[in-house]
Amino acid sequence: MNSMNKIIDYLKETYEIKSVKSPMDMQFHFETEKKLVHSILGDLKSKGFKQLSLITAVDWIEENEFQLTYILFNWDNGIHAILNTRLDRDNPKFTTILPIFPGAEYYERDVHEFFGIEFKGNEKSFKPLFLEMWDELPPLRKDFDPQAFSDKTFPKMEYTTQFLTDVGGVNNEGS
Amino acid sequence: MREVKLFLGPQHPGMHGNYSVHMYVDGDIIKKARPMPGMLHRGFEKLMERRTWMGNLALIPRICVPEPDTNEMVYAMGIEALADIEVPERAHWIRMIILELARITSHIMSFGGIGGPTGLYTATYLGIALRDEILDVFERITGARVYHMYIVPGGVRKDLPENAEEDIERLMKIIEERLEELKELILENPMIHARIKDNIMLPAEVVWELGVTGIGMRTAVNKVNDLRKVKPYARYDQVEFDVPVASYSDGFTRVKTKYLEIHQSIRIIRQVFKKMPKEGSVRAQISTGNALKWKVPAGQVYTAVESTRGEYGYFIVSDGKKMPYRIAVRGASFPQGLLGIEKYLVGHRIDDASLWMDTMGVCSPEIDR
Repeated sequence: MNSMNKIIDYLKETYEIKSVKSPMDMQFHFETEKKLVHSILGDLKSKGFKQLSLITAVDWIEENEFQLTYILFNWDNGIHAILNTRLDRDNPKFTTILPIFPGAEYYERDVHEFFGIEFKGNEKSFKPLFLEMWDELPPLRKDFDPQAFSDKTFPKMEYTTQFLTDVGGVNNEGS
Repeated sequence: MREVKLFLGPQHPGMHGNYSVHMYVDGDIIKKARPMPGMLHRGFEKLMERRTWMGNLALIPRICVPEPDTNEMVYAMGIEALADIEVPERAHWIRMIILELARITSHIMSFGGIGGPTGLYTATYLGIALRDEILDVFERITGARVYHMYIVPGGVRKDLPENAEEDIERLMKIIEERLEELKELILENPMIHARIKDNIMLPAEVVWELGVTGIGMRTAVNKVNDLRKVKPYARYDQVEFDVPVASYSDGFTRVKTKYLEIHQSIRIIRQVFKKMPKEGSVRAQISTGNALKWKVPAGQVYTAVESTRGEYGYFIVSDGKKMPYRIAVRGASFPQGLLGIEKYLVGHRIDDASLWMDTMGVCSPEIDR
């Protein structure tokens, strides 16, 4: 706990960070401006947070913003550092973190595919990954309605049951 | 020589799940490799946003087929952190039994599974047969064989059945006995040595570059980087077990480590029965009224457990309503299953490609989600 407070104090002193929360032991979440993300990620990496566990996003549609989340882990002291930043939902663009974490390549591609957030500098992130020939809204956005998509793509069909009643010369009707 | 495009998977004895790699080969050597995931994409993250917190319990184990219980554990841990639920002591220990049994199931399947890409099918069949013995025990404890839906927010769904300890001890003895047979067949087999010793290397710098965790990481960096030790959950801090590590991660070391880890899981389960409270509640009351209308307080949390393939985590966001606002899944084999294939399969022989997938522990359902 002590080492976590130390790193939080360091971040507070060095950068403009807000809303630091710790929902469970050995884990802290904080939010920062997007211009500071790369400096903080690089700094945390040099302080032992060498593992990028996940990059993901949350669509806060009512606030018209995307939350971009970077989850880092320090194997030496077991602390998860979770950095959040907000992007304008109408123009979701950000810069890649590939020079800091080369392993981010496919996480960024995943976020691009499911949220439509573009990562400048990661050209491969624009390629499709999991979804084949997808030309709808990115599916994890809140305004994408899977039910409406399903109804449109797979029209409702009426099935009539026609059971075989005479199999092998034996009439099974009513049995 | 002209390059030829070849496909590995989606149907191949060396492939674990429906997953494909497009390989451009020159002679026997892979010059370019492109992972082609998506065939098992079932849209779990979107589905979870449209189901109640408790309704999701039936959905989440299906994200990872060989080791479904890790999903239940991270989901339960996340909700317990958000809703501030105290899990009863006995439930913690029962969870460890389930998690370690799941670990053995997954390890045995992939330990024997090395027979798929090497043509040693006897090992695969023996592994699957042994897994079936564990599934029988799972059925007696949870009522289900593969997807148990047993670890729930607040504890476990019900207490262990009568004679569970004897049942599991009998199972442990069967595993120990048959594991020796498998060891002889796999680890002492010159054919396996020829294929995976000093082959399919995973250097420490690649581990850090890709973000590989689990056995791959531990055998490369020679450190006990296991979440059960580094960041203990349940009651892992109260049991004694060793985590096998190495400083030379070739295919053989990783396969051997699986074998060693199975023995450690057996050791944990035996200690659990000695140390767990003999009686007591196994599930905390999380709400009064209809559980399907239960609302989890707003907040965000990331929970992770050590699966057989590494750090398996959920990032859970609640807005205080009846359904989750967002759940992101960190499949443990995401780094080695995508970027790893693209960058580091290159230079290997064609017949090594499926060995690469197998020994790196690539699990396609958790990558595709």
